[in-house]
Amino acid sequence: MHLAFGPAAEKTVTDPGASTSEAQAIEVASIEDLHVTFRRSGKDIAALRGVSLDIRRGEILGLVGESGSGKSVLGLALLGLLDARADVRGAVRVAGRDMAHCDQSARREVRRVHLGAVFQDPMTSLNPTMRVGRQVAEVAGSKDEAERLLGAVGIPDPASRMDAFPHELSGGLRQRVMIAMAVAGNPDLIVADEPTTALDVTVQAQVLTLLRSLRDEIGCSVLLITHDLGCAAQVADRVAVMYAGRLAELGSSAEVLARASHPYTLALLRSRLSLASDRTTSLLALPGEVPNPAAPEPGCAFAPRCDLAGPACLDAPPPPLEVRPGHLSACVVPAVEVTSRLAEVVRAAVVPHPEREPHNDDVVTLYRVQKSFRVGAGRTTRRLQALRGVNLTVGRGESVALVGESGSGKSTLLRIVAGLESFDGGKLEVAGPDCPQMVFQDAGASLTPWLTVGEIIGERLRGISRAERAAKVAQALAHVGLPAEVAKAKSAQLSGGQRQRVSLARATVVAPSILLCDEPTSALDVSLAASVINLIGGLRRELGMSVLFVTHDLSVARVVADRIAVMYLGRIVEVGDADQITSQPVHPYTQALMSAVPDMGREPVALRGEPASPLAPPAGCAFHSRCPKAIDDCGDALLDVRLTAVDRSAHHLAACIRATA
Amino acid sequence: MSALLAKRLGAIVMISIALAGVLFYLQKISPLDPVHARLGGQASASAVAAERHRLGLDRPEFTQFVDYVRGAVHGDLGDSYRTRRPVSTDLRAYLPATAELALSGLLIAMVLGVLLAFATTLRWKASSVLRPVLLLGASTPTFLLGIAGILLFYSKLHWLPATGRSSLADVPGGPTGLITVDALLHGRFDVFWDAVQHLIMPATAIALGPAVAIARVLRSSLVSDQRSDYARTARAKGLSEPAILIKHVLRNCVGAALSMTGLQVGLMFAGVLVIEQVFSWPGIGQYVAQSIPVADFPAISGVTLLLGVGYVVINTVVDLLQAVADPRIKV
Ligand SMILES: Nc1ncnc2c1ncn2[C@@H]1O[C@H](COP(=O)(O)OP(=O)(O)OP(=O)(O)O)[C@@H](O)[C@H]1O
Ligand code: SF4
Ligand code: SF4
Ligand SMILES: [Mg+2]
Repeated sequence: MHLAFGPAAEKTVTDPGASTSEAQAIEVASIEDLHVTFRRSGKDIAALRGVSLDIRRGEILGLVGESGSGKSVLGLALLGLLDARADVRGAVRVAGRDMAHCDQSARREVRRVHLGAVFQDPMTSLNPTMRVGRQVAEVAGSKDEAERLLGAVGIPDPASRMDAFPHELSGGLRQRVMIAMAVAGNPDLIVADEPTTALDVTVQAQVLTLLRSLRDEIGCSVLLITHDLGCAAQVADRVAVMYAGRLAELGSSAEVLARASHPYTLALLRSRLSLASDRTTSLLALPGEVPNPAAPEPGCAFAPRCDLAGPACLDAPPPPLEVRPGHLSACVVPAVEVTSRLAEVVRAAVVPHPEREPHNDDVVTLYRVQKSFRVGAGRTTRRLQALRGVNLTVGRGESVALVGESGSGKSTLLRIVAGLESFDGGKLEVAGPDCPQMVFQDAGASLTPWLTVGEIIGERLRGISRAERAAKVAQALAHVGLPAEVAKAKSAQLSGGQRQRVSLARATVVAPSILLCDEPTSALDVSLAASVINLIGGLRRELGMSVLFVTHDLSVARVVADRIAVMYLGRIVEVGDADQITSQPVHPYTQALMSAVPDMGREPVALRGEPASPLAPPAGCAFHSRCPKAIDDCGDALLDVRLTAVDRSAHHLAACIRATA
Repeated sequence: MSALLAKRLGAIVMISIALAGVLFYLQKISPLDPVHARLGGQASASAVAAERHRLGLDRPEFTQFVDYVRGAVHGDLGDSYRTRRPVSTDLRAYLPATAELALSGLLIAMVLGVLLAFATTLRWKASSVLRPVLLLGASTPTFLLGIAGILLFYSKLHWLPATGRSSLADVPGGPTGLITVDALLHGRFDVFWDAVQHLIMPATAIALGPAVAIARVLRSSLVSDQRSDYARTARAKGLSEPAILIKHVLRNCVGAALSMTGLQVGLMFAGVLVIEQVFSWPGIGQYVAQSIPVADFPAISGVTLLLGVGYVVINTVVDLLQAVADPRIKV
């Protein structure tokens, strides 16, 4: 990949009055005491409450925080794209202009010449009715330049993609198109707002690697907005942690990882799941939720959730102060003390899981289950092979995780077990008097909006008196850590984390023999995800349920499950004990997934390509088109790779002709 | 594309046959007796019977229906009781005038609709004038609008003619029957300009209602797409608001406006029939107005069938245009 950025490389400073102080030479953007307030239904929403931040030339600055912390607002402020009705105080200097206050045409000019942007969802962020070549050419200046850029961001055969519409490209390719538009014209700064959140894990790693190599080649700065501290620390030079519209901590990635000084950063690091998380104890979830931006507290916004909060924290929000050179933290407690005092608190909070008795009967048995869907209409009907023969058992009280990228068939499998979907071939046995219960990714959509929480949970309780029912509902709510008053609320009045708890309460008010979870944590912030995972684990042990848990994240699978099954294109390619799978994966696909998991201070290793289409699974081993270990035999149409035992252990199976070698 | 086209053409045929069926049935249950309408109330019983036989009205109803549909498919809509000519011949004489008026109306409605939508979306100064004028126009009945137009632009200002399609004697008879088109084909700009002057008032009168409806739909989808993620991307590229609207947003929004246009065509046909009376426009409206009092059923059903098929055809064109505008619509 080579980028030669010619004509745009010599850029004129648009503002003749721009100062040429020394600071200008190393900073591409500087934000000074930025306050942004929105008015929504008569309430003031303080999205940013005094942020000062410089983005240096050529650096990748990771901006991390939970949902609603103001990351996107900051990104939009840099682009000068904030809602015109927002009240903006302070300054956002880019290329000598104040993007918060200069006139529209000046902002446009800065955006055109000096800035690039990549947004979260590449499907909606590209114009669906314009060919991608034209969309890139619009900023690149010419068709040739656009084609060159598409090649430079790693789109195979760019000439043939120029005439494609966005919906004809895969998610990863669409995001590459967005990146091509962002780097066109050689900008000084690219604002990337959650550029990988909507992508598969392996593609996520590819996009992060791409952003980094582009930065190395053209020397632009990147503001990488993400909710995942691990992801930021992996590719960024410096990391800024935001909380409730203010900067909590800022420093080089290595500093922040090794010597985090703010209680919030430490809490994020603790609740973050990684492949090294301790499986034998509950996760250290951050209690509580982000404060309401409509009613900011006078003191430190983190105080209600902080283990170290004292009277000194409640007067005024503490300003970010230097704890070491170049490392800022906004906390009244000295950095050294923070670490030692928190270590104490953490030791006390760790709860080891009780030993589980071995199970010997199976709750769910799947034997060669197949499923295909008809897609398209008329002569273009094709069969999408969602499941191509799946064998799996779930024991009583056991927790099994299904892991795979989108399109691997994991959700279909779950819905078949739940009885929500028929299957075409094979056998399915589900034990137990009552049907399986399900918890979905989008808890909000799965709760009936006009019913109260009490009614939603009570629906599963038939034939008992009102008082009994109310008592059972209250008990179910208590189990999931919600106060009994929540029973009177409707789902719209609850936060994301609370809704997920309510759907868990509904699923477990009558304990099912098996609980089916479809990515229940992927829409939640790290801290909330950890508490929901703890909750599911606790309920499982308490009620003796089995759990079948679908996730695309191996580090989540590792802590929630006793066993992990890895799926690729409608087949299980490897299955075994969670520890075995994550410490010694034998299937090349599992190995690729493992190396794509964003982890602190390690470069992601990207698997090439994207999952093949389930409309036409490759012959032989379906993975051979992407497999780094593939040999000629792997693509043989007669090859039928089956799950076979690894190391003579009946527990650990893999479907790869080279795995056992 | 061809698969969709074939499907749509099939649909047009089915709908037209169904429409013919409905018309046939309406004729049957109508209290008006075509034989009496032709012969007058005092005709002798034998004369009535002979006439019934001549018209084929004494055959089984199903046979009559099959004959009617078979005839309609071949362009034979029966003979008019009033003019005694084949209805299809009559329609061929009146249709071009109506088609020219309706198509001009449609064009004006679309242009005004798009203008109004843009003016209000981009908050142009002109919108503060354009909007109330159009709204007032759209909420006034078509015939009143026509009469008011005549009073103002003809009687008072003498700007525009008030009746007919042309005031020139030597209008070239052309291939299409649409005077404007034929004039251009013959290179007769004087005829063209004269015909346009005649068209302006009646066409605008029928266009105002549809124009406002189209503008409303277009504006609301423009406004919501202006807030979309892809518009934000375009803004981040440094494009100006009008450029974003025209280059990016418009094509994503024409779909909704086109469906509305298709719906409005039906209303517009009704407007045409009325306004032809006001402007003495020698079109189908006149033909209908003369046929109704004498219960000229073949003529009335011929017109209805023609308008129905026209409506379906225009809506098919609308669907095809939508598929052209939005590549995600599979054809
Ligand atoms: N246009 C707007 N009008 C009103 N409120 C807004 C607007 N944009 C953002 N907000 C509010 O500002 C606060 C910060 O929002 P922001 O989108 O920056 O959060 P974020 O950190 O990007 O969160 P996420 O991780 O969910 O993307 C939120 O409370 C949000 O509801
Ligand atoms: S200032 Fe107080 S409440 Fe805020 S993070 Fe520090 S110790 Fe916690
Ligand atoms: S069978 Fe071949 S292609 Fe498939 S995973 Fe193993 S080595 Fe790779
Ligand atoms: Mg955001």
